[in-house]
Amino acid sequence: MNNDIPVQAIGPQGEVMAHAVDACVHCGFCLPACPTYAVLGDEMDSPRGRIVLMKEVLEGTLTLADAAPHLDRCLGCQGCVTACPSGVPYGELITSFRGWSEPQRERSPLDRAKRAAILKILPAPRVFSLAARVGQYAKPLAPVLPAALRAPLDLLPEHVPAMQPSPTVTPAKGQRRGRVAFLAGCAQQALAPNFNAATLRVLARSGIEVVIPEGQGCCGAAALHTGAREEALRLVRQNLAAFDPDDYDAILSNAAGCGAGLKEYPVVLHGLEDEAQARAFAAKVQDISEFLAGLLRDGELEPFLPTSRPLTVAYHDACHLAHAQGVRAAPRELLRAIPGLTVLEVPEGDLCCGSAGTYNLEQPELANQLGVRKAKNILSITPDLIASGNIGCHTQIQSHVRRQGSRVPVLHTVEVLDLAYRGEL
Amino acid sequence: MTPQKVALSPASPAPKPRSNGSPDNPLAAELTRLLGPKKVLSNLSERRNYRYDAIQFGATPLAVVLPESTADVVTAVRAARAAGVPIVGRGAASGLSGGAAPALPGLVISFTRMTRLDIFPERREVRAQAGVVTLAVTEKARPFGLIYPPDPASFRTSTIGGNLGENAGGPLCFKYGVSGDYVRALEFVDADGEVHELTRDAYDLAGLLIGSEGTLGLITEATLRLTPPPKFTRTLMASFAEVGACAEAVSAAIAAGAVPGKLEFMDHACLNAVEDFLHLGLPREAGALLLVDTDGDDLETVEEERALVEAACLAAGGSVRRAAGDAESAALWQARRSVSPALGRIRPQRMNEDIVVPRSVLPEVVREIRALGDASGFHVVQFGHIGDGNLHPNILFDPRRESPDAVHDLAHRIALVAIRHGGVLSGEHGIGTMKRPFMREAVDPVTLEALWDVKRALDPAGVLNPGKVLPEELADEAHP
Repeated sequence: MNNDIPVQAIGPQGEVMAHAVDACVHCGFCLPACPTYAVLGDEMDSPRGRIVLMKEVLEGTLTLADAAPHLDRCLGCQGCVTACPSGVPYGELITSFRGWSEPQRERSPLDRAKRAAILKILPAPRVFSLAARVGQYAKPLAPVLPAALRAPLDLLPEHVPAMQPSPTVTPAKGQRRGRVAFLAGCAQQALAPNFNAATLRVLARSGIEVVIPEGQGCCGAAALHTGAREEALRLVRQNLAAFDPDDYDAILSNAAGCGAGLKEYPVVLHGLEDEAQARAFAAKVQDISEFLAGLLRDGELEPFLPTSRPLTVAYHDACHLAHAQGVRAAPRELLRAIPGLTVLEVPEGDLCCGSAGTYNLEQPELANQLGVRKAKNILSITPDLIASGNIGCHTQIQSHVRRQGSRVPVLHTVEVLDLAYRGEL
Repeated sequence: MTPQKVALSPASPAPKPRSNGSPDNPLAAELTRLLGPKKVLSNLSERRNYRYDAIQFGATPLAVVLPESTADVVTAVRAARAAGVPIVGRGAASGLSGGAAPALPGLVISFTRMTRLDIFPERREVRAQAGVVTLAVTEKARPFGLIYPPDPASFRTSTIGGNLGENAGGPLCFKYGVSGDYVRALEFVDADGEVHELTRDAYDLAGLLIGSEGTLGLITEATLRLTPPPKFTRTLMASFAEVGACAEAVSAAIAAGAVPGKLEFMDHACLNAVEDFLHLGLPREAGALLLVDTDGDDLETVEEERALVEAACLAAGGSVRRAAGDAESAALWQARRSVSPALGRIRPQRMNEDIVVPRSVLPEVVREIRALGDASGFHVVQFGHIGDGNLHPNILFDPRRESPDAVHDLAHRIALVAIRHGGVLSGEHGIGTMKRPFMREAVDPVTLEALWDVKRALDPAGVLNPGKVLPEELADEAHP
């Protein structure tokens, strides 16, 4: 698409944005892949429409305030990136745009406070855990609270588990085949500590030593995707200092959003002095399922015990795994490697569940509509288990599946593998 | 404004930024009063996103209506008439001729929320509102053992209303026909806001509305015919060193009696653009690729037809690969479907031709176009439904570095090649604004005047999608 974006004035992030706008031929192939277009059916809440809006704000022919409501509704799921034949890097565009525009946004004091609170609490596992447990007791009050407070409470599980400290080093069992670094994650440690425990057990069983480097912090994705660019830069640099890619065979994450965030570091630092360091780092980043599927293909993964009876699992593609990272086959290969387990495909599987980072808190109504749609789609194939590779999807799907009256277990992919190793499936 | 400029550059002047607020023009205010705020878009950020299709940008509308029923359309049309502004209908705006991009500021009616779809399997019919996505018809029909064959490349996005407005085709049109061939009845709203129901008895007025690009009326609902899918399909891919040889193979195969379900080609530049995107292992060195499906309920005939095509390809010097199974076949067809947008990787803008020529002259036509392209210095690529003689020569360009006038000149010369060989200007994308300037050479003056008579009869005030299809100059001469 032709544009007159003043790249010189904006700097390196302007280059990223102008390149993405250039690549769009407004063909509309992205429309059916967009969850908000599916729900709202209007052009300005579609990827093609948002690209035009961003272009015009950058060119100065439309005010940010005009465009913002539609840009804010974007989940950042990147379903459009998968669907786009012209290769438009939409994810890079919206992330860069949010970083560029946030300092210019006029927000109410309440809005500012809410956003600041989210960005403070989300990346701090101890604070988050405390907040979650307080919230758990406030849950019965939810129906009488204003929407802004109700949304986060709705998402909390009925039981918030106690924090489990993760060991700095988990030794390999048997012969050591490799050594990896692991990003422990933030909210996930508080809401689902078993994700990490299962990850460490599964890796160790196949002879992988796991290091959780000290000094690591939040991946920065939440800050980046909400436009808090300075905060994101600080977190990115903190992690670059904590993880030396030369020390490890891989840097692993078991949360799709965080993994995508880590892989995005070179874009965040594009044009800055530490860009090369970010490239070396990102080249080592893998999702847990990618790494384990690599072991499986090389015949180095410990075989799973068969299930006690034939079981079906609905595998949900987290957007940040399938669309942002392009990881679709690996989790399915792993689940299929469990004897007795059949993997089912979810109708409308490419459509976001509505979770998407802080989206639930900022756009509760749309998030809810998408959550209901996803739960109905999953339950329509009557699975024995539901698996996904992202804490956000996990929380959203569990909450909506329960509301539809189903008790079917919702697990992280690696939890399913862990249960298979223990003969508990 | 010259037609050239309409076709190739954003037509609306850049407005000054302004803030959101209440509707800033009386039309938007009136529509909001009549239809409620949820069905009317009046903010600048909303309206500016309804000024383009997949090929060009037009004027920013004064208001956009997202109707949920035919009654809403009637209300919107009457309000626009009262305000004296033009009306442009719009589906998913994936069209490639500028049909949905407004030439003038006015009312845009976007049908994407009119999505009711009822199936009557015993009659092998569906009744679809204009905004139903094309693919949804087959999805709804398949459980009953039926399909809806028209399959434009954009079938996951495009709507039935848009398909009928442009009379869209797709790879299956060689054997199964285009959108208009599946219409049993149409409901449309005329320029006065009256609702009409057309069947195809007596005068085929439904046929008149189909392919009229919203210039004669707004199609709101259609009754569409369904068919059972063929029991067997076999896919073949052939590569040729040169694009003319590919066309020779097609002519020979059809002359030998093959009636393939699909007969598509893409030239060297297309297949490389697609390969860059999909990494399917297409033969990058080939001058042209031919993709063929033979299909039917009798496997022996299907295989015989594939053998006829194969023999014709080999005789024309091609090398042939048979798709081993459904997965390979699906991958090859995904390649063809992705041509159009994948071309955006080469140059940011393109002029898209949609000519149809008699099959007997295909080899000369594709060679002449190839030669014109090579001589022009532009990236010219060719692909299309070669079985129908429907070719899509595309001129890819960067408007910042290449002259839009030179692009137009080349497009014009390509159109003349088709006309000289007894062809026509549009197979399936419509005339829109892109090919409107060539209409006077393609259609004789008496016939053009007859078309204008029809336009004036159905839309006397000229409010329906003005600036499309019929060249303005002639009307000016007739009605100074």
